[in-house]
Amino acid sequence: MSQETKTFVVTRFDPDKDEVPKTQSYEIPVEGDWKILDALNYIKDEVDPTLSHRWSCRMAVCGSCGMNVNGEPKLTCKDPVSNYGDTVEVAPLSNFPVVRDLVVELEGFMEKFKAVKPWIVVAKERAVEEGTTRQSPDELADFKQFSMCINCMLCYAACPVVSNEPDFIGPAALALGHRYNQDTRDEGAPERNEIFRDEGGVFSCSFANECSEVCPKKVNPAGAIQQAKLRNVLDWAASFVVKRGGKES
Amino acid sequence: MSTSTPRVDSMKPATPGPTRTAPPRPPDKFPSAGRYPAYLAFGACGAFLMISALVLIGAVWAVGNGEAAWNDYRELLSHPVFLVYHVAAFIGLTWFTLRLFRLFPATQPYRIGPLKRPADAVMVAGLYGLFFTVLAVGTLFLGGALL
Repeated sequence: MSQETKTFVVTRFDPDKDEVPKTQSYEIPVEGDWKILDALNYIKDEVDPTLSHRWSCRMAVCGSCGMNVNGEPKLTCKDPVSNYGDTVEVAPLSNFPVVRDLVVELEGFMEKFKAVKPWIVVAKERAVEEGTTRQSPDELADFKQFSMCINCMLCYAACPVVSNEPDFIGPAALALGHRYNQDTRDEGAPERNEIFRDEGGVFSCSFANECSEVCPKKVNPAGAIQQAKLRNVLDWAASFVVKRGGKES
Repeated sequence: MSTSTPRVDSMKPATPGPTRTAPPRPPDKFPSAGRYPAYLAFGACGAFLMISALVLIGAVWAVGNGEAAWNDYRELLSHPVFLVYHVAAFIGLTWFTLRLFRLFPATQPYRIGPLKRPADAVMVAGLYGLFFTVLAVGTLFLGGALL
């Protein structure tokens, strides 16, 4: 049985040598059940050990192996080679600086991520004697979808607002912030909403919906951001009637 | 005997200082391929909304300025340029509305008030049904069939 071959056109960038990224083609044999990541690992192991790409779990959990495949942000461990024709273009995620080849710089994302306080904020720590905090299945369902994010950053790579507005906090971080705002155990919504309403917050989103289209875990960040917008408008309107919570200024 | 070979620290970069990076590039298919043209066209339909709002404000102004102003306004609306604009605006805003309604379920939370959200298809069908009903009633009304 003859083995199928495909040509992978891979973006290469060596910060010590290259002024700008370039592409390099590899024609390799592929198996029918391979994912794009398998092909990249084959190139790295058998053809060109200088190729750099980031990966870890190989089961769409760690979120490390996000790349642009034929121009579309994909989780390469989940994306079958059989979905593509004879030539497959693999590039680093767009909207991120490139460290080397297919590896992108995540520093900026981590800063934005921390900005939305993605943890449960409570005014006073609950005493052990008070027992566990109870939450109904419906209360859990209010935010569960948004807690499925694996930080693969495909949503950032697809978002046209991220590329035009570098200060935009971005889909994954805003969705995660909204996830904590929806959590009945959390008391940090007033603080987060101040950040959401600020420059680069939820109102920078123009609802391209690309983030939700490319999300491999169906988190629906665009939906979370639109819900956060509505909540912030209502919160703003309510501030004329009742005193707004949050930090004393 | 000491060796002159320096110890290699694999965790250190080859050159000191921050790593040089290639600048970020916009999404590969932006703006002309994939789903981006529809997104840009959706945003561009805002121009129809703005111009149509100005036309309506013009109508209010004309009503407030007597019969002659109103007749001038109606004459202006019957100009071929305006007729072409209205056809384009009708098509553009109909597509804008249908796309907005198609995306609408994605914006809805798990619970809407005390009720669980209906299925996406139910929401879209309801909104489309409402839109086309209002459109049909409006057309019949403006066409004089309901008077």
